Amino acid sequence: MTAKSLLTVRGLAITAAGRAITTGTNLEIARGETIAIVGESGSGKSLTAKAIARLLPPGVSATGQVSYDGIDLLALPEREMQQIRGRRLSLMLQDPFTMLNPLMKSGLHIAEMLRDRPEFRDRAALNGEVARRLTEVGITDPDVAERMPFQLSGGMSQRIALAAALARDPELLIADEPSTALDVTTQAEIIKLLKRVQQSRGMGLVLITHNLRLAFSTCDRIYVLYAGSLLEVGSARAVEADPFHPYTLGLLLSEPPADKRVPKLIAIRGKVPRADEVAGRCAFADRCDWTKDACRAAAPALAELAPGRLTACIRRREIAAEMQALRGSALAAASPSAAPDSATRPIVRAASLVKDFAGRAGRVVQALKGVSIEVRPGESVGLVGESGSGKTTLGRILVGLETPTSGRIDIGGFDASDFSAMTSAERAATRRIIQMVFQDPYSTLNPRHSVRRSLTEAIGTIGRFPRSEIDARIAELLREVGLPEYYAERRPSSLSGGERQRVAIARALSVKPKILVCDEPVSALDVSVQAQILNLFKRLKLELGLSYLFITHDLAVVRQIAERIYVLYLGEVVEHGSAEDVISRPQHPYTKRLIDSIPR
Amino acid sequence: MTEHVEATQPKERAPRDAIPPAIVIAFIVVAIVVICAFFGGSIAPDSPFTQRLEIGDTPPSAEFPAGTDLLGRDVLSRVIHGAWTALIGPVVVAAGAFAIATVLGLLSGYLGGVVDSGIMRWVDFMLALPGPLVAIVVVGVVGGGYWTAVAVLIILFTAPDTRIVRSAVLEQRPRPYIDAARALGVSKTRILFVHILPNVLPIILAYVVLDFAFALVNLAGLSFLGLGVEPGTPDWGRMLFENRTILFTNPVALLLPAAMVILTAVSMNLIGDWLFARFTRQ
Repeated sequence: MTAKSLLTVRGLAITAAGRAITTGTNLEIARGETIAIVGESGSGKSLTAKAIARLLPPGVSATGQVSYDGIDLLALPEREMQQIRGRRLSLMLQDPFTMLNPLMKSGLHIAEMLRDRPEFRDRAALNGEVARRLTEVGITDPDVAERMPFQLSGGMSQRIALAAALARDPELLIADEPSTALDVTTQAEIIKLLKRVQQSRGMGLVLITHNLRLAFSTCDRIYVLYAGSLLEVGSARAVEADPFHPYTLGLLLSEPPADKRVPKLIAIRGKVPRADEVAGRCAFADRCDWTKDACRAAAPALAELAPGRLTACIRRREIAAEMQALRGSALAAASPSAAPDSATRPIVRAASLVKDFAGRAGRVVQALKGVSIEVRPGESVGLVGESGSGKTTLGRILVGLETPTSGRIDIGGFDASDFSAMTSAERAATRRIIQMVFQDPYSTLNPRHSVRRSLTEAIGTIGRFPRSEIDARIAELLREVGLPEYYAERRPSSLSGGERQRVAIARALSVKPKILVCDEPVSALDVSVQAQILNLFKRLKLELGLSYLFITHDLAVVRQIAERIYVLYLGEVVEHGSAEDVISRPQHPYTKRLIDSIPR
Repeated sequence: MTEHVEATQPKERAPRDAIPPAIVIAFIVVAIVVICAFFGGSIAPDSPFTQRLEIGDTPPSAEFPAGTDLLGRDVLSRVIHGAWTALIGPVVVAAGAFAIATVLGLLSGYLGGVVDSGIMRWVDFMLALPGPLVAIVVVGVVGGGYWTAVAVLIILFTAPDTRIVRSAVLEQRPRPYIDAARALGVSKTRILFVHILPNVLPIILAYVVLDFAFALVNLAGLSFLGLGVEPGTPDWGRMLFENRTILFTNPVALLLPAAMVILTAVSMNLIGDWLFARFTRQ
C-alpha cells in the first residue's frame, strides 16, 4: 500500500488561535483508492481537507507532513502549490449554492479551468470540451452551460462544481460533504456519479462525511475522526462488520435503521467535545460506557490490532465480546408499530388545504394543492417530503403561522382554518392543543433570553401564576426533557445544538399541548445527538400521551417515530398508510425513489 | 437512562479584544468635551463674556493662553464653555432620531404591508431632500436659532435611521424564535419590544453615535452661518464666524474651535465604527 501511495499525511496537527483542532492525523491513500474521513461537527474533518490543499482560513495553521506523490506540500512555495491544486489535487466543497460564482455562467466555471491549455485556445474547441465535460457529469443538455448559477437546482450546481473540479484531470479529489446540502434522492445520484467518475478515471477520492452508512457503501477504507483525533481506521467492510472502537459502534447504533423500528435507539450520551477539552486523554472517554482510569491517563495512540485495522481504544481486547453483544441485541430488537386506533376522533384534521404564494413576475406558486391529513390522539404521523414539497408550509399552517388560501382545519373541535378569524379565547385554546418544534437549534431560542426567561414567557401565555409555581413548572419541564435544573440560568450561546433543541421542546411543552408539530427537529444535529433527541420524543409520547406530526425528509427517522406516514410530493399527498406498509411496500414511484436512495 | 445530558462546564469567555489605541484616544477626547460641557464654569480661567475692548485681539500670552478675540474676550474660556452647545444639541438630535426611528423601523419591519410602504415612502421622500439646505431654509424662515435647528435635524436624521432599524428587524423576523413566540400566542407588542428590540439594539446604538458626529458638524455649520446660537454665546461654530477676521493677529482664536469640532466629530465617528464592528462581528 505504501509503495504506490499517492497521498501520505503524517502527524497533521491543526491549531486555531492557540487551540488544537486536530492532534496529529495520519492518512494514506493509494492511486485509484477511495477513502472516507467520517466525523461529526467539530471533529476537524473539513479543516483536515483544507490543510491538505493548503487552503486553511487565516488564523488557522497546520504542522506535520503532507506528502503528495513524494512532494512535501506543506513546505511548498505558494506559486508551486497553485500548480498542484486543480491539476493534481482538487477540492469540492459542501454548499452547491455558494460554491459557484453567482455572476459567471455555469459553463464558464469549467472553461476557466481549461483556459491555459494550448489545445483549447480555439473557442469552438473550448466549447466542445466544456460540453464533453458536462456529459461526463451527466448533463447532456448543452443549454446548461449558458445558464447562471441561480437558475440551477442544487443537484445541478453540484454537478457543475464537480465538472469544474475535474476539469484539470486531478489524480486526487477531496469531496467535503458533497451531498449533504442536497435532497435525499439527489444525494444518491451525486454519490453514484462521484463513484462512477472515480472508477472510470482511476482517480483517488477522499470523501469527507458525517454519514457512516454512506462511507461504508462508497469507500474502500474508513478513517473515523472524533474531536480532532483518529479513533479507528480500517477497510469499510471490516469496520461495518465489527467496529473496533466504542465510538464507531456508538455511531453505527445511533443511526436509526430504515428497515425496522426499534423500541429505543442506543444513543451516545453527552455531546461532542472540542479537541482542546480532551487533550491528553482518550477523546471519547467521557461518553464511553467502557471507560477506565487508564483511558483518561494519556491520549491513546492508534494501534494495529488486525492487518489494516487500527483502533485508538486501549481496552478493545477486553471489551470486544461486550461490544458485539450490544450490537447483536440492538440488531435483534424490533417492535412493531402499534396499529392506529381508527375509532377515535382525530385531534387534527385538515381537508383539501391549498396554499398559494406570490411568485416571481406575478405568477402564483402553489405550495399545497389540496392536502388532507389527520392525526388522532396519541398517534405519531410522519410527513415525508423533500424541499419544495410543501411539508414545512403545511406544518406552519397548522400552528397558525400561515393562513391557507382555502381548505378546512379542525384542531380539537375548533375551526382553525384561519387563526386571525378566531376569537382570542378560541385561538388561545387552540394554541394549548398544538405547538411546534423548529429545525434550526441555533436560532430557535432568543439569543438574549436565558432558558428561564424563555420558559417563563411560554408559561405566561396560558395564564398568570405566582413566581413559585412558575419555578416549579420550569424545573418539571427541564426534567421532562432531560436537562439539569441549573440549565434554567443558561443562555442559548452556552448550550450545544442538542441541548437547545431540548429547551425548544420544553418551551413547546410548557402549555401542555396534545400534539407537537416537529419540523425536521433532528436534521441539524450530530448523529450521536440525533438518537438522544429521538429517544426523548419517544419517551415524551409514552409519558405525556403526546401526538406528533413529524415533518422530515429522512425515512429512517420517521420509521422510528411514526405509526402512519404521508408522503408529500410537489404539494400533493402521493401516498399514505401505515409506516410499515409505506416503507416496506411503497406504491408510488416517488416513494420508491426515496427508499432506494437510502445508502445501505 | 441513556438520554441524560452531562453537566457541561460553562464555556470560558473569549478573551476580550484589547481596545485599539486610536479608540482609547477618541474616548479621552470625548471625555474631555463632556467634562468641559458640565464643569466649564469651574475649569475655565475666565468668564467667556468679559469684554476688554481696550486690548482687543491679542495673540496667546501668559495671561490668555489662547489669546483674546476682537472684543478682548478670553478665547480659551470661550472654547471650554462652547463644549456645552457642542454636546447638548447633538445628544438631543441623536437621542430623538434614535427614539423615533426605532419605533418606526420596528413597525415597518415587523408589520410589513401598508404600514411598511407608508413609512418607507416617507423615508424615500426625506432622503431625496438636501438635508443641510432644508435646515438653513427652515431655521432662516421660522427663526428660533439653535433649538429649531436641533428639531429639524432630528426629523432629517430619523429617515436613514428608520431604514437601518427596519433592515435589522427584517433580519430577525424570519428566525424560528419569533415563530415560536407567535405559535405560543405571545402578543405583537411583546414580540416587538421584548424579542426583536434587544436583538437589534446594539446595531442601532452604533448608528446613534454616528448621528451625534453628523449633528455636531451640521450644528456648527449652521452657527457659522449665523443660524444657530444667539450672537455672543460661546459656541465653536459661532467662534469660527466671529474670529475669521483676526486670523492673522490671533490664529488660535480660529484654529482652536475648528480643531475641537474636527476632533470631537472624528472621535465620535471612530467610536461609532468600532462599536458597529464589535456588535456585527458576533
